[in-house]
Amino acid sequence: MKKILGVALGVLTAIGGFVDMGDLVANASTGARFDMNLAWVVIVGVVGIIVYAEMAGRVAALCGRPVFDLVRERLGPRFGLANLLASFFINMLTLTAEIAGVALSLSLVSSVNYVFLIPFVAFLVWLVCWRMKFETMERVFGLLGLCLLVFAVTVWKIGPDWNQLFSDATHPHVPHSETVFTYAYFGIALFGAAMTPYEVFFFSSGAVEDGWTKQDLGENKVNVLVGFPLGALLSLAIMACAHLVLAPRHISVDQLSQVALPVASVVGRLGLAIVILGIFAATFGAALETSLSAGYIVAQYLGWPWGKHGAPRTATRFHVVVLMAIIGAALFGVTGVDPVKVTEYSIVLSAAALPLTYFPILVIANDPRYVGADHTNGRFLNALASVYLVILVLVAVATIPLMIITKGGS
Amino acid sequence: MTSTARLRSAPVRTIEQRRQRRTAGLAALAIVTVLAASCSEHSVGPARTYDDYERKSRTSAEVALSAVETVRLLAETSSHGNAWGAYTGVSLSEQEDTLTEAEGDYASIQPPDQRSDDLRVKLLDLLGAATDHIAAVRVEARRGNLESLEQVAQPLTNDSAALQQFLNSIKR
Repeated sequence: MKKILGVALGVLTAIGGFVDMGDLVANASTGARFDMNLAWVVIVGVVGIIVYAEMAGRVAALCGRPVFDLVRERLGPRFGLANLLASFFINMLTLTAEIAGVALSLSLVSSVNYVFLIPFVAFLVWLVCWRMKFETMERVFGLLGLCLLVFAVTVWKIGPDWNQLFSDATHPHVPHSETVFTYAYFGIALFGAAMTPYEVFFFSSGAVEDGWTKQDLGENKVNVLVGFPLGALLSLAIMACAHLVLAPRHISVDQLSQVALPVASVVGRLGLAIVILGIFAATFGAALETSLSAGYIVAQYLGWPWGKHGAPRTATRFHVVVLMAIIGAALFGVTGVDPVKVTEYSIVLSAAALPLTYFPILVIANDPRYVGADHTNGRFLNALASVYLVILVLVAVATIPLMIITKGGS
Repeated sequence: MTSTARLRSAPVRTIEQRRQRRTAGLAALAIVTVLAASCSEHSVGPARTYDDYERKSRTSAEVALSAVETVRLLAETSSHGNAWGAYTGVSLSEQEDTLTEAEGDYASIQPPDQRSDDLRVKLLDLLGAATDHIAAVRVEARRGNLESLEQVAQPLTNDSAALQQFLNSIKR
């Protein structure tokens, strides 16, 4: 019974923790601009993250070491360094976006300009990273993130023509008002939001923090196979809300407050309170994950002691990197950069660096020296992962040219 | 190993390798600079032809239409008691800032010819009116009169229609 409860809690946490600032912005802006014509990308993205997160979790559970720790050892210091630099840069952009997202959600209930709230949020993020137990932190913000299910309630309350909605999502086309390039650019943004690299770093490092072993492989599978698809449904609900409420009014999503507007107009004040709490939890949880990921990847690459499972004095350099990352992101945030633009660039650029993150996972998950001969990838999984690797490379190659051609999707 | 021996055994970088490293460093710096610059809102470039100017006019009108419609929906939502003051006030200020910036950016673009002048006058009139009407809604919201917002936002219906008409009148 305790085991079942633990698995259920893990799944709920996976659902609630699936959405972050990138997903909120990408799903709402594509829903408002492209209706449901890019819904298929969410499905493609979630299958990709399922495939690779399962591998990362399996590797961590079987050898007790997270993926980034193994990248340098297995693929050499040069590849590891390239991976580290790209991942750290994107992670910093994502962290800035998440901290700004928390500040924006607080500003919507306090009327205080979000820029003034950023230092306070940064301090809170650091305090939680420093003081709160890893499991508590994961559960609290993951479960609070379930408040975002109010988007699904909103869609249900609108009562759309479900057949039409399904037909729109399954018969995608480039809208007349858009070009193939903007369609592809926003598709890449959605794909990047679904497969953000920090998710894998955090997932595999978290597995080690939680002390996963061979016995936890089942829980790993259930988390990714059940939690992630349900999280993707949440993403689709956000997209559908924007499609049903904002698109008919020609509203494009440039602010986080607009993401919550369909819920307020359909569900009312209670819905607005719940969605803002959900946005706060989702962005705060992601800020914690990205802060810790900054520490994880640097410490793991350089071979320093890392993690929250021990006292901070046992992993001082790891905690210093986490602190510096939070300070750096907060400083970038208070310059007044547009948080939504930072979010868009972080997810699009993460798409450009995806092969660097996912290729090593595929290599290590096939290496019996790390996972044992019984737990290497099967043929089907390898075929699927290889197809995804090709997609990742194509996406990475196309990202920067599309960014230039579309002037950042404008 | 002494420091001299270490220096001797260290791989010597050729001029070509140094040049490649410098080029890679400059490219990385350029990417970061471009990204930082593009993260600031509504950056505008020059318009050299009428077509170019027309395209920029369309973009500005679309931004304005989105802001106007967002404010209309906000006003409707708040008037029906579905949103509280802080959310409404902050959201309205954001839309007002968006529109003001779009208006300022558009006004700063040099129109290349007489046709562009006509377009400029027409759109700036629309943007100015919409900005005034959004400001009126924001003032009312900040005074705490949320229930009357829908009424105060009434002129925005005409602004929205006029912007749509403007968008229909210029080519995509």
